[in-house]
Amino acid sequence: MVFGVTAQRQIVTFGGGGFSMESGNPLLDEFVLGLTGRSRPRVCFLPQASGDADHYLVRFYRAFDAERCSPSHLSLFRRLKSPKDPHEHLLSQDLIYVGGGSVTSLMGVWRAHGIDEILREAWEKGVVLCGLSAGSLCWFSEGVSTFHGPPERIEGLGLLPWSNTVHYSSEPNRRAAYHRWLLDGMRPGYAADDGAALHFVGEQVAQVVASRPDARGYRVESRSGRVVTTRLATRYLGAPEVTPLIRSAAAGAIPVPRA
Amino acid sequence: MSAAPAERVIFASGGHEFSRRTGNEALRDYILGLSASDRPRICLLPTASGDPREQISAFERAFGELQCSLSHISLFRLEAEPVTVREHLLTRDILYVGGGSMVNLLAIWRAHGIDEILREAWKRRIVIAGQSAGAMCWFKFGITRSSGAPGVAPGIGLLPGSLCVHYHSHPERRAAYRHAVATGLPPGHGLDDQTGLLFRGCELVEVVSGRRGAGAWRVEADGRGGCREERLPQRAIADPRPAIDEPSAAVRELRQVRAARARARFARR
Repeated sequence: MVFGVTAQRQIVTFGGGGFSMESGNPLLDEFVLGLTGRSRPRVCFLPQASGDADHYLVRFYRAFDAERCSPSHLSLFRRLKSPKDPHEHLLSQDLIYVGGGSVTSLMGVWRAHGIDEILREAWEKGVVLCGLSAGSLCWFSEGVSTFHGPPERIEGLGLLPWSNTVHYSSEPNRRAAYHRWLLDGMRPGYAADDGAALHFVGEQVAQVVASRPDARGYRVESRSGRVVTTRLATRYLGAPEVTPLIRSAAAGAIPVPRA
Repeated sequence: MSAAPAERVIFASGGHEFSRRTGNEALRDYILGLSASDRPRICLLPTASGDPREQISAFERAFGELQCSLSHISLFRLEAEPVTVREHLLTRDILYVGGGSMVNLLAIWRAHGIDEILREAWKRRIVIAGQSAGAMCWFKFGITRSSGAPGVAPGIGLLPGSLCVHYHSHPERRAAYRHAVATGLPPGHGLDDQTGLLFRGCELVEVVSGRRGAGAWRVEADGRGGCREERLPQRAIADPRPAIDEPSAAVRELRQVRAARARARFARR
């Protein structure tokens, strides 16, 4: 960081994907690691939306192995086995990765432990924040959760002054509820398919990337009584940027996504 | 057929596992008997520990042996069939709240509006039972380790005063409780594992214990900057069959030696 220059505030929200949903396809996880600009970034996993489930921790440590990064997690159900000072720990990270589950439960636990305030501070200091599903909804002002059956209108941390919905193409119920609420006055926002991720710099979308060729991000808003969905240009992360001269060598170097 | 008791009932346990260690089956049978139904519908709320699958399975194993109908409500896991939480909870005979983090439990309940449903369930005379965090949450205050070191946390407050669980098995918790009561926390009870307090309305009507030596203490400020503990009379309840307890010291030592050898072998590889 150059002295006197404010750190960039960055959030990457997955509509679904990463190690939680796309085992064998590390494209989105590699993308967020790359944003830190470090060769061995410090990554802290926040699994509260799943109740700090053990199996989820195991999968995180498998995906974010210690050769690629310096992984850790913060448990709020077993504080004795977790970093003593969450504030100090979270602010010393390069990337904070929030898992999926129930966003309502997630927000409840965070607020009880003051994690909401710490995350805002981390964001302002330039720690990259990311997550999927509940871990996407949580950064926005409001959003749509379907975790407990019928779609629910939920409030997030509000770092991003938009609405949000996830699993956009794969969950028609959620999409319909989102459209209804947008017509009802929910603020405009962004949606993403499974495998698509919105990269926010500050409060604005800087780019949309995807781990699957057909996944997209969307701008969604109501305009004079209609919901208008605009597909955003989405860059597929698996596409080779340069046509390889030797086909076989390049094929080994490029991860093959499972579509 | 559901048959509600004549009064509002809360049974608070200082520690209860879904296992066959001494006192646990006695407590289990006692809780089931609090409902007048001959086949009570009992629902587990395991959210204080993050709704872990193991706790739900252990609950199903323990209560599944008896005449009752089992369910659980997870606020973290998706279930195959979405349930309407309110309707489900209010049609049970017994609600059993598991242990874990009291602070997380209450925060999550509030986020989902479950605290209000539980208040309503209590008023409708559905039997409320809970252990550890799931016992302290009904009082005005409890002593939690949710943030690491033990400290005071507010509960829902259906019952007045305070409660401290695992009273002698977590000495640092007892010390924190005594200090808090001596310095102004509303008085209450210190409660051992496998021991429980039965409240009808807001009145303590019985102390039961499934383990010899375990008990319940009334804890009050002594007016001189300290606090006074007075052991309450209790009724012993027995396990329905011989308990299976922790291995003896000799067996534990043997296991440690074996584990150390295994580690050494692994390290040499």
